Amino acid sequence: MVRRVAICAVAQTTYEQDKWYERFQGMALEVLESLQEQTGVDFSEDKGIDMTISVSDDVFDARTISNNAMTDVLGAHFGCEEKVAQEGIQALYYGLAAIQSGHCDLILVLGHCKESQGKSRNMVTHVAFDPFYTRPVGLDFCAAAGLQAQAYAAKSGITDEHLAKVVVRARENATKNPNYPEVTEITAEEVVASEMLADPIRKLHAYPVSDGAVGMILAAEERVREFTDKPVWITGVGNCMDSFFLGDRDLTSNFALKKAAERAYRRAGIEDPKAAFDLVEISDQYAYQQPMWMEGLGICEAGKGGEWIDADGPAKNNVNTSGGMLAGNPLILGGLVRTAEAALQLRDEAGDRQVKGAGTALAHGVMGPAGQFHSVVTLARD
Amino acid sequence: MSTAREDCFTMEGKLALPYQYFAGLTGSRFLISLRDQKKIKGLKCNKCNKIFVPPRSTCEICFEEISGNWVDLKNSGTVTGFTIIRYEEPHQPVKPPYILALIKLDGADTPLTHIVKGVPLSKMKVGMKVKAMFAKKSTSSIMDIDHFRPVEGKPKFEMGYTYDELEVGMSASFSKTISESDVYLFAGISGDFNPMHLNEEFAKMTPFGTRIAHGALPQSLIAPVLGMKLPGLGTVALEIMARFKAPTYFGDTITATGEVVEKLEKKRWVRMALTWTNQKDELVAEGSALVIPPMPLPQQAE
Repeated sequence: MVRRVAICAVAQTTYEQDKWYERFQGMALEVLESLQEQTGVDFSEDKGIDMTISVSDDVFDARTISNNAMTDVLGAHFGCEEKVAQEGIQALYYGLAAIQSGHCDLILVLGHCKESQGKSRNMVTHVAFDPFYTRPVGLDFCAAAGLQAQAYAAKSGITDEHLAKVVVRARENATKNPNYPEVTEITAEEVVASEMLADPIRKLHAYPVSDGAVGMILAAEERVREFTDKPVWITGVGNCMDSFFLGDRDLTSNFALKKAAERAYRRAGIEDPKAAFDLVEISDQYAYQQPMWMEGLGICEAGKGGEWIDADGPAKNNVNTSGGMLAGNPLILGGLVRTAEAALQLRDEAGDRQVKGAGTALAHGVMGPAGQFHSVVTLARD
Repeated sequence: MSTAREDCFTMEGKLALPYQYFAGLTGSRFLISLRDQKKIKGLKCNKCNKIFVPPRSTCEICFEEISGNWVDLKNSGTVTGFTIIRYEEPHQPVKPPYILALIKLDGADTPLTHIVKGVPLSKMKVGMKVKAMFAKKSTSSIMDIDHFRPVEGKPKFEMGYTYDELEVGMSASFSKTISESDVYLFAGISGDFNPMHLNEEFAKMTPFGTRIAHGALPQSLIAPVLGMKLPGLGTVALEIMARFKAPTYFGDTITATGEVVEKLEKKRWVRMALTWTNQKDELVAEGSALVIPPMPLPQQAE
């Protein structure tokens, strides 16, 4: 990589199922103020933020170009602002590219979503489908995940008990994370007894509807020390987009994730992903995705997701010590929150969930039905 | 600043925008062929030989223009994956639970996502052969195929709806024209040779002025509804009640209808409202029934 780029600070609101007391602009402001307090960064023409990259979803916000409704908190008044409507982790990729190109030195990434505003998250993801061929049959991201989960369970020997184990651990980890004040512990029996949504996905296998905001400051190497003495370096990035129609893909192949990981590992110079990371933060929107994405990342043996859970792989690999997406993040912020959580670990600021001596991490984001689009970011501290 | 919820003003809104979508030239040909000829067509890439459906004009692998390479696909195919949708949303085409499947049509390489009906949820399997059932009314979308049904491996007896499959509001009926021979045979079956049913001269002296059928004869027409249609084979009738409202004359066509009105969760029994009407839509009788719907067959149980 030509010009090194670091995350200098991260900030998040708590994630709750209904932040009725806050507008999305207000959630973003809370994050911005925290970032300014941590780094002293401002929006001055010479030394301030060169570009803001916002992350938002117009349908969830129920506004066209919804970022235009919050230029003040984005620092976008008379400034340079751009929006990512793909998975939030793409804003990181975008910021990295802008800094590496020499165009910018200092970037604010700020994402928000109030999923609770809409009557149904499934109705939002339903309109991601084609009006002639896939919408009429009622597809939404949950239904697509059901199709993928069924196929993956058959291939990797994943049982209802395995999935319950994933959920129990996610909840337990989340209770140690103050960003998830509403999450409580749960027993495997309760998970197995929860109703089916789309077989084999149960209600408690699915990430809850949630509201929240997340942000970070990215800086070019030569300016990093102005803002932090604990930079988290972006060592590799990769992403890949799979086919739109579900039938055009092999839903269990992890094609896009493998490609994304391969690209990130190549850039980071990682040869053995199994030994490369002290912790892994992946966007597990549904419980089956935790072992499945770990297979795709090459950290868990392909087709061995069930055995990996039996052997306590999730704990051994320090997967989602934050609680992960299963604890509840807005869909569009998944990967960005994972990056923020990984950065906190690498800054030794993860409190009760701190992985001792964590020096390297992987963060993952996913968007689109049944994992159409994957992003992988590798991170390291000094 | 107060953060009490009652001080927070909220407004109900709705994001609804009438919209016109263009299917594209290639998509239009696919949809028109589906609508007018009930033919499902695929597009073949002559370079990699892959046959795509839904249609697109370019092969995503080879970047070859394929928009002219139409091939006819069969109306049958194989299920390559499925899920059972159990949560309810307004955008769903049928009421859950229902089977959503990936179906590779014979002749195509890319499975289509569609609904499968006519198979118990617990019997659904990858590899099942299914065929397209076309919709009676076109919506110029993939729903011109209403759903898919299993082709073979039909059970010897099509069992009726189980308690879980039955929903309040489901109804079924059976119609039959009552003839003189029906009445005469029913007299033999029941031993009721009452001349009001059999002797026209006697019947002239009754308030009806002519022969009428035994009350139990039209009433019995509910049996094929309950036992063979709704719930169907395997049903046990616990109680059938009827109040007669009008006579059935020879030549009348009686329609017996049963509708599910209540599911008794505790016993897993179902209460049905019954009506009998004639060809003039006059109510002949009304009543109710209490039934035990069929249990899932042993080999169909999970």
